Amino acid sequence: MFLSMASWLLAPPDAHAKDPVRQPAKARAHPPATKKPAAKIRTRPAPVARPPALPVVRDGEAEARLIEVYRLAGQARHREALRKAEALVRDHPNFQLAQLVYGDLLAGQIRAVNTLGDVPAPTAKAAAPLLAELRQESQLRLQALRERPAPGMVPSQFLALSPRNKHAIAVDASRSRLYLFENTAAGLRLLADYYISVGKSGVEKAAEGDLRTPLGVYFISSNLDPKSLRDFYGSGALPINYPNQLDVKRGKTGSGIWLHGTPPAHFSRAPLSTDGCVVLANPDLERIIKTVEIRNTPVVIANSLKWVAPQSLKSELSAFDAVLQGWHQAKTSGDLARLTAWYTPDFTSYGKTLTEWTPLMQAELKQLGGRDIQIKDVSYLRWTDSADTMVVTFGELIKGSNTGRTKRQYWTRQGSQWKIFFEGAI
Amino acid sequence: MPTRAFFSYRPLSAALRMLFLAATLTAPLAHADDYADVGSLVRAGQYPEALAKADKYLAGKPRDPQMRFLRGVIQTETGKTGDAIATFTKITEDYPELPEPYNNLAVLYAGQSQFDKARAALEMAIRTNPSYATAHENLGDIYARLASQAYSKALQLDGANTGVQPKLALIRTLFSADSKAPPPQKPAAAAPAPAAKVVPVPPAPAAPAAPTVKAAPVAPPPAAPAVPVAKAPPTVPPRAVEAPVAAAKPAPAAPAAPAANAGAEKDVEAAVRAWAEAWSMKNMNAYLASYGQSFDPPGKQTRKAWEEDRRARIVGKSRIQVKLSNIAVAVQGNKATARFKQDYSADTLNISSRKTLDMARVGEHWVIVRESTGS
Repeated sequence: MFLSMASWLLAPPDAHAKDPVRQPAKARAHPPATKKPAAKIRTRPAPVARPPALPVVRDGEAEARLIEVYRLAGQARHREALRKAEALVRDHPNFQLAQLVYGDLLAGQIRAVNTLGDVPAPTAKAAAPLLAELRQESQLRLQALRERPAPGMVPSQFLALSPRNKHAIAVDASRSRLYLFENTAAGLRLLADYYISVGKSGVEKAAEGDLRTPLGVYFISSNLDPKSLRDFYGSGALPINYPNQLDVKRGKTGSGIWLHGTPPAHFSRAPLSTDGCVVLANPDLERIIKTVEIRNTPVVIANSLKWVAPQSLKSELSAFDAVLQGWHQAKTSGDLARLTAWYTPDFTSYGKTLTEWTPLMQAELKQLGGRDIQIKDVSYLRWTDSADTMVVTFGELIKGSNTGRTKRQYWTRQGSQWKIFFEGAI
Repeated sequence: MPTRAFFSYRPLSAALRMLFLAATLTAPLAHADDYADVGSLVRAGQYPEALAKADKYLAGKPRDPQMRFLRGVIQTETGKTGDAIATFTKITEDYPELPEPYNNLAVLYAGQSQFDKARAALEMAIRTNPSYATAHENLGDIYARLASQAYSKALQLDGANTGVQPKLALIRTLFSADSKAPPPQKPAAAAPAPAAKVVPVPPAPAAPAAPTVKAAPVAPPPAAPAVPVAKAPPTVPPRAVEAPVAAAKPAPAAPAAPAANAGAEKDVEAAVRAWAEAWSMKNMNAYLASYGQSFDPPGKQTRKAWEEDRRARIVGKSRIQVKLSNIAVAVQGNKATARFKQDYSADTLNISSRKTLDMARVGEHWVIVRESTGS
């Protein structure tokens, strides 16, 4: 392949070091990526049962190494690319895309390689679907790294987050990418983004078994212990609250939508390959599990995220602030009729209709006895599809009291008016 | 310490060896100084001075390959690519057995993005030693095998169905005791003569002593007299110096003779391959030089007429490829016969034929004295 003039050209007369016969070419030594610590002998049971320490793989690292191989190959630095690819597949033998690239770089030592996965024709035929998936995975990974959101931009669904939402997640299904944010005082900060897989049948889950990933605004509802799961799920699982109240209103069925990892045989999965879950490579999932809080972490899943400057959301934000204010004042007023006007006729609260729910609200108002209700830690998540929906979460305190409840409301826009179609404590 | 020659592992031409040994024995330090001086000037980046010294040296010894090589390096480093290419090309014409000039030509061609020429030059470099070609081909087979394994892992194939196992080519002779013992070689330097006599077979000082069968204990003879492969060049000078001594103490004949013969077979094969490569590369100088003075042109042509004919048939083609297979070599003293299958392909023409080349040893080279089609 390409020769470096400097190193090859000047062979001093008395330094036949390049004579491959006298000094056979040394195999380049590849030191192991990390070392395994020696096993410890415990005289007492360890306080926390740990799996045997494995080489720590940082989130996003394998992909970064793969991209580096691409970069070197693109610069015709094939020998270096080959070395790095060899190290990558040694550390991640189950990273099928990396194996494919490694195969290409090996084949490229002896013949022209014309495409990613330039396998012999019979193999290409026999493994055509898999080959297509790997090529797609490659293309999506590269695209996500080339086409990045501008710094400071946020997905349009995050109208406002509260201090309780320390982190947030957004998924762009068409790009097979998950974005992890930290919610700082200065706003959302992108921490990391990862390649993901979604449902075999794509997106917009509507029914049980349709093999689709749902679209909408969700929250992480729990964190499942990986030891209680089959190894199919990899390092763990973070279920999300599909169906949310908008899904329920629309009659959508199905359940068990999780963020989870991959089985031992696969480092990552094909872009459209799951039963509806969002699947990540295990190191990436592990970072998320270590980072986010359950119940307070919103997960927005869109077919295609729209990234906006936070300032551009300000007018929308203050407009809805005014709406929420109106509802708040109605509640504080103690006037049931005034309050009820804020709810849609098809309102539900955990199965109760408006008719069933109104007496409960009446009792609550009576109990307030004119005291003020304080609302704090408000977050607004905006979901726009065939309708405009706002998912509002806040803490509700009786003024003077120390304790309160966390409430979630789902609002829908009817014309120029916003009304609540779900409300409940969470 | 005499400068180690900057050469390959094949025996040097007689004249060159004379020159070299004369130099090493009479003025052991002179050449070392000259090459070293120019070399260090080059390394220090003092190219005009280096070039001047080299030119001065070459004025007196214009054919010296090592200094010419250094000159080519200087030309390269000073950006005189055309001159450098010419310099190295001439060296390959005069010394087609050296890999280094081919390598540097490849570097220069690659710098000009002439990658086909670069590749051809590197293939010539590899073919200066048949073992390189074998190792290189084996490496290619291994790469193919590794690629196939990686693809299997990528596509989750069972691995059972990954094609034919490549059988790597074994190099069968290094210096082997199992080669047929030839009649004792004409001791070109049998007598414990002064250095000059040993000249013709310098990497093999032991060989000429073959006829005297006394298994005298000689401190481990470089018992690979004709091994083109390992060891030869770096130790040529000291060995050459030792030669007179070795000649006096005859080396164990038995291993030496068959070893020399095995070496001769390899030399013949290498010469045949070099001839085919020269033909493929349309390197007329090297091609015609493969044929000895006593070559018997076919069809009663004169030598000159035959050369004209060959030139016309070769240079006129835009592309020639000559591939040899099933090469069988039989050596008897200074004569040999090479039989092989020749696949000739040029432009739109493809011809396969069985060829026989009668070869003779002239000095250190094997040349063709008769070429015929058929076994």
